[in-house]
Amino acid sequence: MVGSPVLLIAIPLLAAFLIPLFGMVWKESVRIVPGLVLAYLTYLSASLYIEVINTDTIVEIIAGWRPPWGINLVFSPLTGFLTTIMTFMGFIVWLYSYRFKRNVEFEAAKKYFIFLMLLVAGSVGIVITGDIFNQFVFIEIVGISAYALTAFYTGRDSAEAAFKYLIMGSLSASALLIAIIIIYSQLGTLNMAEIAANIDNMNPYYRIIAMIFFIIGIGVEAEIFPLNGWAPDAYTEAPGPVGGAFSGIVAKAGIYAMVRMMFTLFDIAGPMKILIVIGLITLIVAETSALRQEKLKRMLAYSSIGQMGLVLVAFGMGTKAGVFAALFLMLNHAITKPMLFLSGSFLTFNTTEKYIKQITGMAKKMPVVSIIFVLGALAITGFPPFSGFWSKMAFLSAAADENLLFIMATILIISIFEVVYYFRVINRLFFFEYDDKISVEPHKPGFNGMIALFVLAFIVLMIGFYPSSVTGFIDLAADDLLNTHQYIDKVLQLGQTIIQ
Amino acid sequence: METILTIFIIFIAGATGTYFLGKLSGILRSVIFITTLLVTSWLFFTAVSPDVIIEFEIMGILMSWGLTPLAYVFAIIVFGLAIIIGIYAIKAMEGQRSLNFFFANFLLSVMAMFGILISNDLISFFIFWEIMSWSSYFMVVLNHKDVQRSGITYIIFCVIGAYAMMMAIMIIYSYSGSVMIGDFISNFHAFSLGMKWLLPILLLIGFASKAALMPLHVWAPGAYSNSPMSYTALFSGALSKMGVYGMVIVMIMIVQQIPDGYWIKEVIAWLGGITSAIGTLWAIKQDDAKRMLAYSSVAQLGYIIVGVAIGTPLAMMSGLFLAVMHGIFKSTLFMVVGAIERQTGTSNFTEVTGLIRKMPWTFLAALMSIIALAGIPPLGGFIGKWMLYESLMGSNHYLLIIVIFFSSTAAFLYCYKFLFGFFLGQEEKEWSHVKEAPAMMVVPMIIMAILTFVLGVFPGLILKPINDGMQFLGYVSTDNRFWEMSTIFNDWGNQVVMEPIVYTIFAIFLFFLIFLTLKGYKNTRYVTTKDISSSGEIPREDENLTFITGFMQPFFRAVAPVMKRQIDKYYTSFGKGLEALFDFTRRIYTGNGQTYALYFVIFVILLLMFRDSLF
Amino acid sequence: MESVGYYILGVIVTIIVAFMVGMTYMGLSRKITARVQNRKGPPFYQNFIDAFKLASKETAIHHGFMHHAGPAFLMVASIMSVLIIPVLNDGKWFPNLNFDGDLIFLLYIMVFGPLGMALGAGQTGNPNSAIGVTRGLSQMVGFEIPWVMALVALMMQYQTTSLVDLMAVQQTTGWLMFSSPFAFLAAVLAMLGMFRYSPFDIVGAPTELASGPVSENGGKYLFTMMSSGSIFAFAKLTLYVDLFMGGADNLIELLIKTFTIYLIPMLYGMVSPRYRTEQAIRYFWGWPLFFGFLALVHAMVF
Repeated sequence: MVGSPVLLIAIPLLAAFLIPLFGMVWKESVRIVPGLVLAYLTYLSASLYIEVINTDTIVEIIAGWRPPWGINLVFSPLTGFLTTIMTFMGFIVWLYSYRFKRNVEFEAAKKYFIFLMLLVAGSVGIVITGDIFNQFVFIEIVGISAYALTAFYTGRDSAEAAFKYLIMGSLSASALLIAIIIIYSQLGTLNMAEIAANIDNMNPYYRIIAMIFFIIGIGVEAEIFPLNGWAPDAYTEAPGPVGGAFSGIVAKAGIYAMVRMMFTLFDIAGPMKILIVIGLITLIVAETSALRQEKLKRMLAYSSIGQMGLVLVAFGMGTKAGVFAALFLMLNHAITKPMLFLSGSFLTFNTTEKYIKQITGMAKKMPVVSIIFVLGALAITGFPPFSGFWSKMAFLSAAADENLLFIMATILIISIFEVVYYFRVINRLFFFEYDDKISVEPHKPGFNGMIALFVLAFIVLMIGFYPSSVTGFIDLAADDLLNTHQYIDKVLQLGQTIIQ
Repeated sequence: METILTIFIIFIAGATGTYFLGKLSGILRSVIFITTLLVTSWLFFTAVSPDVIIEFEIMGILMSWGLTPLAYVFAIIVFGLAIIIGIYAIKAMEGQRSLNFFFANFLLSVMAMFGILISNDLISFFIFWEIMSWSSYFMVVLNHKDVQRSGITYIIFCVIGAYAMMMAIMIIYSYSGSVMIGDFISNFHAFSLGMKWLLPILLLIGFASKAALMPLHVWAPGAYSNSPMSYTALFSGALSKMGVYGMVIVMIMIVQQIPDGYWIKEVIAWLGGITSAIGTLWAIKQDDAKRMLAYSSVAQLGYIIVGVAIGTPLAMMSGLFLAVMHGIFKSTLFMVVGAIERQTGTSNFTEVTGLIRKMPWTFLAALMSIIALAGIPPLGGFIGKWMLYESLMGSNHYLLIIVIFFSSTAAFLYCYKFLFGFFLGQEEKEWSHVKEAPAMMVVPMIIMAILTFVLGVFPGLILKPINDGMQFLGYVSTDNRFWEMSTIFNDWGNQVVMEPIVYTIFAIFLFFLIFLTLKGYKNTRYVTTKDISSSGEIPREDENLTFITGFMQPFFRAVAPVMKRQIDKYYTSFGKGLEALFDFTRRIYTGNGQTYALYFVIFVILLLMFRDSLF
Repeated sequence: MESVGYYILGVIVTIIVAFMVGMTYMGLSRKITARVQNRKGPPFYQNFIDAFKLASKETAIHHGFMHHAGPAFLMVASIMSVLIIPVLNDGKWFPNLNFDGDLIFLLYIMVFGPLGMALGAGQTGNPNSAIGVTRGLSQMVGFEIPWVMALVALMMQYQTTSLVDLMAVQQTTGWLMFSSPFAFLAAVLAMLGMFRYSPFDIVGAPTELASGPVSENGGKYLFTMMSSGSIFAFAKLTLYVDLFMGGADNLIELLIKTFTIYLIPMLYGMVSPRYRTEQAIRYFWGWPLFFGFLALVHAMVF
């Protein structure tokens, strides 16, 4: 065994606290150490994941207290899948921002990387923990580091955005706490598997109330409507790569927490109306709002929210195909949206307003970045032969299996708007003349940033041309999510267990 | 390796090579480009046999590639046009922007069309369809002209069609577990009645949007006129035929299985008829040749769709024959416009006149194509039109034939306007410097013009593959029943024998031409177009007396009520309304933290209120 | 299969007959018009004199190849029409191309000429020509519709598109004029436009447009056009006779019938003022169209 899942949380947390100390010795280490850590995490996560697939779920028990009393970590095909994506995206974001922050002074850079570490640690924690209170703590860690990253550019707008995020985050935290209290008072346990095993003993009235507060509590991270008011502002005001991290890492963790709660904790089988309704509303509101945005990042933020809505609808179908589609969508979104954010922030590097019109004709000046942006746009709007097509297809196929024709039609119609606003940007980028008065100064993208983009573009193309390269993993992950009993059994000491 | 795969690999390699090596030298780019087209076409025409089927699996879905006889007809159009237009494009695009991208994308489009034609399953069909959509989209906006309007309109209609199609495909997949076109056709009877209606309609929306069938045609004028002409020739000539190809399959194999599916056919046929009438009227009104030809394409595709939708053997034959002919003459006309635009810098009738003596070969190509377009014997267009009329009569479409007749008679107006506007009229000093287009552009056009003639005299040349394709669709062979090499028959056994007719026409024409030339040869002289009888006044050199502005005004006064309503306007106002609505939804995000907190509270209350119905 | 020589002989004889008859009719029409207007008028052979004069003119000018070849296009259409339309019943005349083309082909070959000539007229650069052409084409769209409706009604009723077949039908059922009255009415009203006599003569309005499309032509060009016009007139009249009046068994009968038909546009023209183009189109899309519909309904019902 290469390591244990707890390292996935412990190492970044430790690194986050040690970074200032390293910084005192060698300033450059502030930039380098996070990279090494994230690279190691990716390696660790990937190798653990492969092991999990080949053998069995790893359940790690912290501090020797066996479940249901102690805290345990679950590294299953599902959580492993998500963790690998997250750590990998964390590494990509680091790679991108490695030199991106060179023009930022030392203190700021230090802060940035510390919070990035915390963000990754928290998100990974949300995914692999097997304890709801522990999850709550990780959600808070993610929240706090996210507020800080939002306010990274110390200015009025950033502060305002961070403050909005903070308000929503605190409200959600209290809701989540209420939910946890209800559960604890009813069942006397905080362990997810234990709760899942005993959920039928719970008073149905309290059960629904607890579920509602859970949805509200997690909904803020998962960017569901109407709790996502913070998101457009935060995505816009935060630095570009942070937008990528939000959409590629944080939102995924939020969605995971939501579906884990719905599927496992409350063990709902079959279609979940609530998720479908919330997802559809989120999708419609976000995509239609995106149509009228003037700022690039804001548009991407709305698009990101919309995609999360789509993912929720897919989960809401509750079938194997639906979950498969949802995970596939999550994967593609986790790759593609950061790609858009990263390339978009190269394009708008020399402007603070980041209006779409400011990138008019930039393709002539920054052809490679522009092409990657277009690739991302085509992928996310589901044009074959790029990655998004397959997940969209999986989604529609799942919906068709359930005879949800109305939902299929709605989503396809909404997708038309999505195509329109992305193509408007593509047009501006490629098919307008560069205009000194409107357009910003082109920025020479750094080597590291380009590598990050190329890696992402490669993955998009790889999934696009050969989707079978990932569908096997997603299939396993989907099975894992749907099989609640297996989860309960594994955690309650029937799986491959590490005791520490 | 399978030839089909080889062709794909050559296409992709060619596109990549064109793009990257094109940065090194223009000649290299042209060589790679043309070689790719030639090699693929050569492979296609010699080595691809219909029997070979490639099967593979993606995401657990079985896919299959192979050439059907029906697809072969369309593949002839695609490859034939691609080569000829490709040669033309090399010279025509000289000095234009983004050449590497243009040629690479051109190859991608051709590849996508080839892919559509060899797909035996709906998923790979759809994939290639979408590749075709976006690659053509990038061509539409390539000229940086009217990008946000005509470009976005095009992509909207592309995705409307594509998504309708995708919905149908996914329903088919999840209901029957197979995406094979053949399986779909043979299992179609097992679908419920609602699905039997929904699926063909969704598929037809998809295909009709590419074939520019009313009311999905509004993208066509903008898209056709804004792409580089070298691409529009392919766009209108071959790409739009992919919609026709899909419609043929759906109309014949699927709709016939629907109980009362007759009505779908009638509705589509009538839509086709109305499309052709409206398209023709708007074509007459245009002062820009590109837009005129774009509307004309819409109209001509209307005829094709009528033929396909009626679906009797003669009608289907006429539809497919017209599809081939339209590919030939319309792309020639677009090439003509491209040549004129290259030589003069404008494609507007009101600006350029009297080019006939400057660009005689271009004029010849234009003349032949226009004659073919108008359906005047003895060129190929006539054969298609004739079969269409006869099939309409043979299938008792009393009124539809009148609509078709109206639009093809009205088409004479724009046909004349096209020739007159560019080539005839007074020769102006302003254009006295204009030279004939380079040989590399003229020769392809002339080849196409000759083709229209050859197919007019010997329609059997192309009717033979069409017949094979129709037999694949389940028709009885029409050989010797409806056509011979140079003769066509209608449902009642009446015939038109082209050979003696053509020879007589030529004999008469030559006789009188010789008569006119030789009689008083010495005393016949050429005078300029300024030297005309104009009430005793001789126009000065700088006076342009050409009558072109408001060319068909009296006609439009007569048809004014029809032209008043324009479907584009409805779409535009619908789009504006939507944008206004979305501006409202955008305001949900007020940017105010207190509001968001309020949303939070409201959300909690709502969830608590509706907890019973939502969970 | 007849020999090529016989075929060529048939063509030549038919053309000559058509030319003579057409010329004579035109002359007669001038005479009759004059008499109605209380003038003396030219002799009926005046057109022959005119044609001879034009033909013997040595000098001619042209504005380019299309202009030069325009009359030849016109001739193609006229002669092809004459060759395809059977002159007499039961193949008593040379069959020429009677069986090689049908009514639809005929319709199209009939517009071949005007379009060819329109190209020639366009090249002259004379604005009057172009104006005349646009008027002519617009008007054509007007009268073609009722005309086609009439033909479609006939063709569908008798399930044939061959003129020969339609003539054979009339041997048994009697004149189609009586058995399909609406088609006949629509066709006759459309014919008014086809002959371009007043009130539909705005195309070549002599005073304002200087004769419109033909304005730049003279000498051999005008001669060819005139001959073509007379051949074409004969073709059209024969077509009407063949379609609606049971054809003719000998030339005399043909002459009587054609002249009767010819009187219709001529007399109608004498008493009517000139229509503007859009008025003409609206005229054709009024009653003629209505009769055309009735004809179609009639064909549908029977």
